Amino acid sequence: MDDLRDPRKTLGEALVAAAGKNKKIVAISTDSSSGSGLTPFRERFPERHIEFGIMEQGAIGFSAGLATTGKIPFVVAIAPFVTARPFEMFRNDLGYMRQNVKVVGRCAGLTYSDLGATHQSLDDIAIIRTIPGVTVINPGDPIDIIKAVHAAAAHVGPVYIKLGSPKMPVLMDANYPFQIGKGVVMQAGNDITIIATGTLLSKAAEATRILKEKGINPRLINMHTIKPLDRELVLKAAAETGKIVTVEEGYLAGGLGSCIAELIATEYPVPLKMIGIDDLFCDTGPYEELLAQYGLQGDQIADTVEEFLG
Amino acid sequence: MQKLNKGEKTALEKIAVQNRKNVLRLMRAGRTGHIGGALSAIDIMTALYFEIMRVDPQKPDWPQRDRFVLSAGHKCLALYATLAEKGFFDSAILDTYGALCSKLGGHPDMHKVPGVETNTGALGHGLSIAGGMAMGLKMDGLDAKVYVIMGDGELAEGSNWEGAAAASHHKLDNLLVFVDRNHLQISGPTVDVMNYEPLDKRWQAFGWSVREIDGHDLTQIVAHATDIPFEKSKPSVIIADTVKSKGLSFAENKVDYHYWKATDEDLEIAERELDEIEERIS
Repeated sequence: MDDLRDPRKTLGEALVAAAGKNKKIVAISTDSSSGSGLTPFRERFPERHIEFGIMEQGAIGFSAGLATTGKIPFVVAIAPFVTARPFEMFRNDLGYMRQNVKVVGRCAGLTYSDLGATHQSLDDIAIIRTIPGVTVINPGDPIDIIKAVHAAAAHVGPVYIKLGSPKMPVLMDANYPFQIGKGVVMQAGNDITIIATGTLLSKAAEATRILKEKGINPRLINMHTIKPLDRELVLKAAAETGKIVTVEEGYLAGGLGSCIAELIATEYPVPLKMIGIDDLFCDTGPYEELLAQYGLQGDQIADTVEEFLG
Repeated sequence: MQKLNKGEKTALEKIAVQNRKNVLRLMRAGRTGHIGGALSAIDIMTALYFEIMRVDPQKPDWPQRDRFVLSAGHKCLALYATLAEKGFFDSAILDTYGALCSKLGGHPDMHKVPGVETNTGALGHGLSIAGGMAMGLKMDGLDAKVYVIMGDGELAEGSNWEGAAAASHHKLDNLLVFVDRNHLQISGPTVDVMNYEPLDKRWQAFGWSVREIDGHDLTQIVAHATDIPFEKSKPSVIIADTVKSKGLSFAENKVDYHYWKATDEDLEIAERELDEIEERIS
């Protein structure tokens, strides 16, 4: 039985732990503190929890100002509303001003499967990674979330953390050495490399199991950091396995697949298959069914990989 | 409320003229710039840096310092001129404005220019950043204050009103905004381009305490800016009526000088005018 954990609850607990160690950490909410898993933080550190209402542009600007006084703000809110909506504040006030602010976009990807394209966040990785100096993390399981929060708190500079909402299975060892910018080989193999990130890491892991049962040995990489990208690990995989498949709950344009394509096209060209969401606004419906609609379930990923291998 | 005596007023007026001369020095170097807004705001900046704010040019990162946020970043010629005069950097750097990789760009960069607190340029950012500064200072129990200059045309950006609402909600009475109401923006009279009136009531409705002054009267600027908070637990705003390109008679109140491409002849005329103003003060 999988150990399933709520990513928002996990985030909230990790943030309380980080804030217990570092008094500079403050939490910023935009009318969504309980939905963002911040209730324990608000109860434990009421004087360090600041509410802004439905005001994401203002909240990002205020966070930049708070950071100039030495605070380490964690802004946690629904993903599109802290990325696409206040993009210019993210770019100028956090990126250009190099402020030590951590933005957590929760319920990203297709999490809001029922609420439609306004609430689904498929472009966050693509747009935020264009900002110079911003670190972009997309944790693949609850252990990654905990480690990402602590790593982001310790890192000096703006960070974006993308989170889903449905419960995630624990895939990583609780003691593994998480390092920003360093991907993790979860499964050794030389037939092909599957590089997955975020919420779809578990689907990619399922695909890997299916493929192994068929005698195919993929290398599975948890690419929890999109930026800075672990170039060395990707180029090694390209050289040793000859083909790469990327898996992400986001747009192909500008996402993890794009990052890998940009790298290998110039450094070590090998055939690449990018699995994610193509150029469209997605439909609505139950989350798992919606993933299936776009070919993002484990068995579908396995089929795509097998077909790609030929 | 600090009242300037006659001598203090004269001294400050002289600095204001020198700061305007520094703006022309920048224009000599770079030849282009947002002169109109720089010269409408420069008396406020002069008063802030030379009478009002607690700053130390030798310690630009001093935690207890007052902060200045130039939300209307295009007025940066006035900021560079004032910071150089105050001693934050060598005034010779003014002569690099417009050159490749100069520290002094067309909008200010905090990582390049000592004394600059924020990277502004895109309008509608400064107030929220300043609000965060004011909030952080209060959380740390520091009595430092945060001063902001916004343009009146800038007020059309909705993000300003997010910042205004949050600053009053969080009772940031260590925050003072100057609206540099020079009445003009690049397309024409501000209220014709996008009407903001009644401006005082708009700020009041957002929970701010409002005063209106002549933004070129140094005595008024100092008196009111040293009297904050105007009301306890409320942020303060001064609507400062100003004249675009103030000090250059040929350019005053003319929208064409929002952004100026100066010729040698223009600059000679401008420099003569400032010399005459200086002589009158002496």
